[in-house]
Amino acid sequence: MNEQSGTKMRVGVVALGKIPEIIPKSMAAHISGYLNLHTNVLPALEHPAYAFDKERLQYNAGIILKSLEQERFSDYEKIIAVVAVDLFVPIFTHVFGEARQGGKCGLVSVYRLNDPQDDSAPPPPLLLERAAKVTLHETGHLLNLVHCTDSKCLMHFSGKLADLDRMPFYFCRYCLAYLRDFRQKPPPAAPV
Amino acid sequence: MNEKMSILIVDDERIVRESFFHWFEKSGHMVDTASSGSKALEKLEKLPFELLFVDIKMPGMNGIELLGRVKEEYPDTIVIIMTAYGSIETAVTAMKMGASDYLLKPFKPDQLSLVMEKVSRQHKLASEYHYLKVQLEEKTRFDNIIGQSPPMEDIFRLIPEIAASESSVLILGETGTGKELVAKAIHAKSRRSNGPFIAINCGAIPDTLLESELFGHQKGAFTGATHHRKGFLEVVSGGTLFLDEIGEISPKMQVDLLRVLEEKKITRIGERDPIDVDFRLISATRRDLEKDVAERGFREDFYYRVNVIIIRMPPLRKRSEDIPLLAEHFLQKYCHETTKKVDHISRDALALLRGYDWPGNVRELENAIERSVVLSKSRTLGVEDFSFLSPASSAVSRHGSLREVEKAHIQETLTECGWNVTKASKILDINRVTLHKMIKRYSLQRPAS
Repeated sequence: MNEQSGTKMRVGVVALGKIPEIIPKSMAAHISGYLNLHTNVLPALEHPAYAFDKERLQYNAGIILKSLEQERFSDYEKIIAVVAVDLFVPIFTHVFGEARQGGKCGLVSVYRLNDPQDDSAPPPPLLLERAAKVTLHETGHLLNLVHCTDSKCLMHFSGKLADLDRMPFYFCRYCLAYLRDFRQKPPPAAPV
Repeated sequence: MNEKMSILIVDDERIVRESFFHWFEKSGHMVDTASSGSKALEKLEKLPFELLFVDIKMPGMNGIELLGRVKEEYPDTIVIIMTAYGSIETAVTAMKMGASDYLLKPFKPDQLSLVMEKVSRQHKLASEYHYLKVQLEEKTRFDNIIGQSPPMEDIFRLIPEIAASESSVLILGETGTGKELVAKAIHAKSRRSNGPFIAINCGAIPDTLLESELFGHQKGAFTGATHHRKGFLEVVSGGTLFLDEIGEISPKMQVDLLRVLEEKKITRIGERDPIDVDFRLISATRRDLEKDVAERGFREDFYYRVNVIIIRMPPLRKRSEDIPLLAEHFLQKYCHETTKKVDHISRDALALLRGYDWPGNVRELENAIERSVVLSKSRTLGVEDFSFLSPASSAVSRHGSLREVEKAHIQETLTECGWNVTKASKILDINRVTLHKMIKRYSLQRPAS
């Protein structure tokens, strides 16, 4: 990834399990539009049953990420996966998304973004908007952005849906500057 | 921008440590983890973590015990207690022991965010507090003299009054009590503050040389006088002359100085015509000059000329409440100079320092702190770092007059150094010439080997 040489970073969006098509398409469009990255929707992968925690009755986001990192997405520098199940990390009751700082893979869950939760109806626009914001936030982490104190910035941590809804589609100027710096760095040398 | 903190996660569960690590990494904080209370304390000895997340239920040292240790040894560290098995009782205990918050695992995502906002505010307040504390220390330091004990406050009140006058001042006090600092403070607050401040240690210069140093000489006035030289009494014109160890000067020099103080004129050695001089005299001594006057070792007329105003510097053992303040000041000074990460003196060590008699007073305390910082292997100076402080000194100094104490201390130091006068003078922080005079005065003798 090096914008100076004209090579744009490629991002893949992949559904894990059965997800309405519109959701990954909307996520890809937002990554492409707001972050100016080549983004494609990839063929769906299996439902992450392997990550189900019987005690918590939720899916462990860390286990899903580890599994994604072992998949070969050789044409893509970053991957954003989307699930329709309830995600958790050990310290939190739930998460809307998860990604490793500067890592390759991120994860978004639409489970708690649909309000009220009704699978029979098409995803409402609000769900798509929320999913897009979480997607941009987690992609920001993959691009090495940290949480921002500006409550209007997409990198501000949102623990509640109300906070997410109040947030505009906006990266503050500091985060944008970090993004520019990150994208202008030469890519790491390929392993021998 | 985010305020970055150094955070330590203490939990015996690896997945919890990892989970916290990833979350704080995404917030840009510097984060480390420890799997037990003892490992956490080892890490704290090496690095000043600002915030700890501590699980209550851990094998070995539990979270409440760790909280107690951290609050004792690193009181500025913010501690948040967490547990999966909450009870009101443990929550109250933790908060009473100084925990900043108490969280039940797993917590809602926004809960941790709110806790971090609260911690950030607390951290900012603590930084402001430290800044204001330094400002206050600057005030209580009073021209680099540190103290808030009643005897020192009395001296701080006296200094501006004395500075406003032109009277001669005599500062009495044991070695290392800050006599020169007080003299400088008086000069700095006087109308002569723009003039020179010249300090001369009369005990360190032989009498014959002292005369030339003070009065100056003409070229050829004596063997070795190869050029004209202005004396300090002339050079100090408009300023303040500080004569330390004034009790050591010879009777002849006392007469010469008395004439200068009365006539405000000096005559260079080898010259005939006098020169006007204008200076304020501050002198100091550790001796009992009244006794010397009675024993005719010191001229009475000169004595009354130099001690129009007397300031008595208390020995450090008489103002032991200043010891923590002084110790902290020297700790910061030598950490800065040595770039060692030592930022705390344990409570037990402070108690030891307060109980020690400090025959060398503030100078000895400074020396002890410097030595301990240089040789320290952890962030905290403990009792073991001050093991070199000899209990024998405190036993001697509890009995007897000042002369007896001084004599015993010099004898002990000479014995420890094998009667190497050069080495002993360095330890006692006095000039070799002065030490020889004191050996003679106290009739100290090297034991027959």
